[in-house]
Amino acid sequence: MLEVEDLSVAYGGVAALDGVSLRIPNNGITAVLGPNGAGKSTLLRTIAGLVRPRAGRVLYRDRLLTGMSPEAIVRAGVSLVPEGGGIIRELTVEENLRLAHLWRRDPADLRKALDEVMALFPPLAARRHLPAHSLSGGERQMLAVGRALMSRAELLLLDEPSLGLAPKLVSLIMRTVRDLRATRGVSVLLVEQNARSALSIADEALLLSSGRAVAWRRAGELVHEEELWHAYLGY
Amino acid sequence: MLGSLSAFRPTLIRHSILGLGFLLAAGLAVWWVDSFNQFLVYELSSVCYFAIAAAGLTVLTGLNGQLSLGHGALMGIGAYTTAVLLKDHTDLNPGLVMAAATLVTAGASVIVGAAAARLRGPYLAGATLGLAVGLPGVAVRFSNVFGGDTGLSVPALSAPDALSSVPPVVWLVWVGLVPTVITFVLLANLVRTRYGRDFRAIREDEVASALYGIRVARTQVLAFVLSGACAGLAGSLLGYTANVAAPGSFPLTLSLLLLAAIVIGGLGTLPGAVWGALIIVFAPDWISSLSDAAHLPIAMQGQLPLALFGAVFVVAMLAFPHGIQGGLVRLWRLRAGRRTDGASEGAAGT
Amino acid sequence: MSYFVVLTLTGVAAGMIYSALALALVLIWRATRVVNFSQGAMAMTTTYIALAVIQATGNYWFGFIAALAAGLVMGAVAERAIVRWVEKGPPLNAVIVTLGLLLVLEAVVPMIGGAQIRAFPAPFSIAATAVGSTFIALSPFNIFTIAVVLLVMVALLVLFRFTSLGLRMRAAAFAPEIARLLGVRVGRLLTFGWSLATMAGALAGLLVAPTLLLYPNNMDAVLVYGFTAAVLGGLDSPVGALVGGLSIGLALSYIGGYFGGDLETAGVLVILIAILMIWPKGLFVHAAERRV
Repeated sequence: MLEVEDLSVAYGGVAALDGVSLRIPNNGITAVLGPNGAGKSTLLRTIAGLVRPRAGRVLYRDRLLTGMSPEAIVRAGVSLVPEGGGIIRELTVEENLRLAHLWRRDPADLRKALDEVMALFPPLAARRHLPAHSLSGGERQMLAVGRALMSRAELLLLDEPSLGLAPKLVSLIMRTVRDLRATRGVSVLLVEQNARSALSIADEALLLSSGRAVAWRRAGELVHEEELWHAYLGY
Repeated sequence: MLGSLSAFRPTLIRHSILGLGFLLAAGLAVWWVDSFNQFLVYELSSVCYFAIAAAGLTVLTGLNGQLSLGHGALMGIGAYTTAVLLKDHTDLNPGLVMAAATLVTAGASVIVGAAAARLRGPYLAGATLGLAVGLPGVAVRFSNVFGGDTGLSVPALSAPDALSSVPPVVWLVWVGLVPTVITFVLLANLVRTRYGRDFRAIREDEVASALYGIRVARTQVLAFVLSGACAGLAGSLLGYTANVAAPGSFPLTLSLLLLAAIVIGGLGTLPGAVWGALIIVFAPDWISSLSDAAHLPIAMQGQLPLALFGAVFVVAMLAFPHGIQGGLVRLWRLRAGRRTDGASEGAAGT
Repeated sequence: MSYFVVLTLTGVAAGMIYSALALALVLIWRATRVVNFSQGAMAMTTTYIALAVIQATGNYWFGFIAALAAGLVMGAVAERAIVRWVEKGPPLNAVIVTLGLLLVLEAVVPMIGGAQIRAFPAPFSIAATAVGSTFIALSPFNIFTIAVVLLVMVALLVLFRFTSLGLRMRAAAFAPEIARLLGVRVGRLLTFGWSLATMAGALAGLLVAPTLLLYPNNMDAVLVYGFTAAVLGGLDSPVGALVGGLSIGLALSYIGGYFGGDLETAGVLVILIAILMIWPKGLFVHAAERRV
């Protein structure tokens, strides 16, 4: 469904991604792991259209994404939840959620989606009309996932959704992501520092280091490869 | 030739010698030009005071990052000081008068600069805009001192008896060239000192500068006072050139033209101030002769210089943000064989 | 009517006009972080267009609508064709481009329309209104001015707070990158923001022309007052634009009335600097910081 071919990105003179390729099948969850500065976020941002690659292409359902504007990529069905959640702090919880759905121009579906998210995350329902900056860290991540749900994307790009969260919340978020795949057939590309929680729901994992793809394994296999863990995942 | 001179240690000495040499050469050249084109000589006097004002403004806005839309008004302070001093003592030494005007305007700039020290970006622009539009009104209000709408006259300069063969226009330019050269030499050296570095540092990153121990507010005020002093000096020279100090000589357009000049010339560079001054003074002439040649109706002719100016302004900003000086520097580098790295051309403007 | 009340009423009417221009500046600032110094010149241009239409059709309201429509178009064109190129760079570049636009407009308009001072009609009487047997210092035109500016402000408030278009515009202004990730066509909305703003400016131009008369530089002072009002209220705040505009209008009226006309602008300058020294970002600073 998503094909990244030989993607290279440079900031100034520094290569952030160097010839990275990957493939996500329909209904797949792929984890992107690696140490800090490996280029994981850059990979997601490039797919989402925020960054122009120096070389390589991104194909989604055989459509060329490279060169499209971020707004157009969203309308194609690919949605990025950036690090920090992609929340607009000055807007209320409900406004943030509504915003994610507006481009569809489907008010009936918007209401339905909004109710679903409120049911899934009761704390958000309680703070519906409060500005987003008044939420706690955990609530903000809920809002981030909620807004991803609202976007009705077929391919979700999640950048560190569990950053700074308590373990209970981390499992809630991972569960939600897994359920999305199960109930709606959403595919996910998941960037995580917390390798173990990512691998708990991923089918496959791509290991990045210094902008290069170092390994590509099925999630189950990676857990057992001690050398790789020590070398790139720190422990 | 320049390389061997750099053997002299402090750059100040080197610059002063260059400046002196320039003064002598220019002085003689001007005297010679006067014999066939007196109007051109007169315009050179305008170039002098615009250059001084532009130099001060380019340091303030280009190096230090403070955008001032009020320097026209500060020039007015210099001009009026000159006129007031000369009101009852018409033969005061012009050097002393100009120095006094510079000091008075510097004093006013301390007040404005201190008030503006906390303001950034558009808020600073707004405050200085108010200065540009509001100050002339003060001259009109206190018309017994400042001569109201018609302003005060400034007596024409003429050469001392020892040099009586020098035409007044040439003497005017000579009198103008001296402070111009002094200003540029001083600024060129100041820019290389710690102050120049502090100015730039604050523009780049104010917070980091403060953490490094730079006293931001003081430095901002210093930059403002410096540029204000230049404006005052320029205003004084303007008074001598136009023989009048009137509210109508210092409209908002003057401040905007100054800004246009330093941008087109090359923001933050002293040579850029010179290019800008030359353009402000001579471009209207060229444009007028162009529209003459094109036989445009009179109504259009009057407006064309300003229209073209504005258009060039906009285009310059979009396409050539480094101005004339930037373009010249790039040409020089290409000729010298060193290629500028295309990727690092990134940050435009300042 | 006491002198004070007269000054107050005229100050309020004038203040509304400055609020309209201030609102234009605030809308553009919120959308693209640029101060549009040519806003006054644009308003002058649309007023000239209105005059041409009025003279051709004999109907004030056709001219009124023409000016507002021209404002919509002019704002869009300016943003797309010119300002877009400098939106991303150092703010000084954008300032300079708008200043250049100001110079061009103020030079080109008289090339087409002539530089002489012209009269501009008002749709209602500009004489004092009779209430029973007394006269109040507000003319029907003043009342119209106040009403129409308030109407526009309320309309914009409703637009921003209660419509999805307004939501998208706010998102595009607060956090353009994130808005893009939510499928919001940020570019188009910024252009639309400029359109709305220039329309508000056009309104100010129409309302001030009957008293100020129409000539190429007539909006220079209004720009200064509008900018001062916007800065006073805080460039991010439309409410601040209203409060700032009224404050400036009243201040100008009182200072001019009690201390003489020439000191008006100087007086306003002093007030502006005094306020900025205490609140360097204007009176209505948003608590939430902007996302870069």
